[in-house]
Amino acid sequence: MTTGIDLQASFIQIFEQLGLPHGAAKLVWLPLPMILIVTAVTVLALVATWLERKVSAAAQQRIGPEFMGPQGMLVPAADVLKLLTKEDVIPAKTDPWLYSIAPILVFVPIFLSFIIVPFGQNMVITDLGVGIFLWVALSSIAPIGLLMAGYASNNKYSLLGGLRAAAQSISYEIPLALSILAVVMMSNSLSTIDIVNQQSGYGILGWNIWRQPVGFLIFWIAALAECERMPFDLPEAEEELVAGYQTEYASVKFMLFYAGSYANLILSALLFAVLYLGGWESPIPVSWLAGVLNVNETAPWFQVVAASLGIILTLFKAYLLLFLAILLRWTVPRVRIDQLLDLGWKFLLPISLVNLLLTAGLKLVFPVAFGG
Amino acid sequence: MMKFLKQVTDYTKEAVQAAKYIGQGLSVTFDHMSRRPVTVQYPYEKLIPSERFRGRIHFEFDKCISCEVCVRVCPINLPVVDWEFDRETKKKKLNHYSIDFGVCIFCGNCVEYCPTNCLSMTEEYEMSTYDRHELNYDNVALGRLPYKVTQDPMVTPIRELGYLPKGVTSGHDLPAGSRRAGQLPEEILAQMEPKAPKEEAKAAE
Repeated sequence: MTTGIDLQASFIQIFEQLGLPHGAAKLVWLPLPMILIVTAVTVLALVATWLERKVSAAAQQRIGPEFMGPQGMLVPAADVLKLLTKEDVIPAKTDPWLYSIAPILVFVPIFLSFIIVPFGQNMVITDLGVGIFLWVALSSIAPIGLLMAGYASNNKYSLLGGLRAAAQSISYEIPLALSILAVVMMSNSLSTIDIVNQQSGYGILGWNIWRQPVGFLIFWIAALAECERMPFDLPEAEEELVAGYQTEYASVKFMLFYAGSYANLILSALLFAVLYLGGWESPIPVSWLAGVLNVNETAPWFQVVAASLGIILTLFKAYLLLFLAILLRWTVPRVRIDQLLDLGWKFLLPISLVNLLLTAGLKLVFPVAFGG
Repeated sequence: MMKFLKQVTDYTKEAVQAAKYIGQGLSVTFDHMSRRPVTVQYPYEKLIPSERFRGRIHFEFDKCISCEVCVRVCPINLPVVDWEFDRETKKKKLNHYSIDFGVCIFCGNCVEYCPTNCLSMTEEYEMSTYDRHELNYDNVALGRLPYKVTQDPMVTPIRELGYLPKGVTSGHDLPAGSRRAGQLPEEILAQMEPKAPKEEAKAAE
């Protein structure tokens, strides 16, 4: 197993050669990946909004944004500029503190969760031992923010939306966590890096999607519900609730919700790729490819190519899932709140429990194939 | 036990069926993505209005006999006919005529009933103004002819659905000289004519 390029180690080494002590060099390095990830996530979310517009337009036989920049690519930038320059209104008779904290409480955990998303063997902010569990934990903070937003707005639509969002997030957290647990059980680790490594070696055949045919479906449905995407977007159901908990929000606070929801979608797609689609692994193993092309796998240039390929593949998988989510948005009608809870508690939960049990059994019977 | 098993199989069947339908729906949505957009890029492309289009009303001042039929058939008595009786010629003399298009519903009753055909419908529909009083057209404004979409060099004219060749559903990128489905009245007549004399001859015998 090659380690791939380790930017942190080489960066610190360079600074130590310049005469900095090890601790200081590490301190200089520390903010860089954070800034990079925050910027990257913002850009990814903006690209997601653009894709949403374009793919939605194509699905409806329209063109979509076209004149703002090439293919309307500057639309997200214009959105951000508009929302930044708008007046920040706090409506009368709201709870100003809760009202202001709520969007931050929704936004921060989502961006924080990106620290465990790996783009390569060492291309991750921290390889936490609890990795994927951190995401599950952080994503359960969001309902508090949504509930706060709904309550603080002092608006019945907002309150209804907030309540729905909380109910939905809490009930879909469980099948989500259980389907993740099945994957974790197979990889014997909660670390996202280990989960990907466990899938590596056999290219597309080694991916968890073949070992978890039910699990990935449960995960995707639950992830869509967590992100409040179309078939499950009833917290924001515009026909019934105006915009749910977002109704009273404007300018920057609205932007936090908006960016948060798209960042959450990207996060879910990325984690889907990590859990089931082999993360940064290419469909044809890179080491095998290197062997065929007769290239030394430890050559620096090959390492750079492999790392970039890993990042591109991770993003490609994530955006493929995003595309699927947008297609689903224009295919599936919105479910009612009782149907939503029925699906969550009476269908997904038992199925995911059975899936977990089955995975455990298979792991005992075929320890080779199911990571004994 | 058997009842429980049956319930389980039924439930599974339903779930599989639901998944199948969602898959079918997804394939339909996906199929739509590769289709050409049906939208008309409005300021750059415009649809050619059909010949029965009920747009802004055109008025010919000299033809009008001030009979006020248009006022009577109008649902809201909208046209304003300002005339006076000329004692020398013993005829009504029209001074002014106006229709307020901010109020008009373009029903075409006035055009239908005008005895001298001095009213007609044009294909003009872009009449937005900043002040609604500007929509009150007098006889000069009513006498203007609209600019045709097909003659505007800035605009790509797009044919409407009813004017496309058979089986074609998009007005974009039509081959030159393509005709609408069906035949013109003249052509139908030309086809009928060779038969007609024979039948007449038979009738004479």
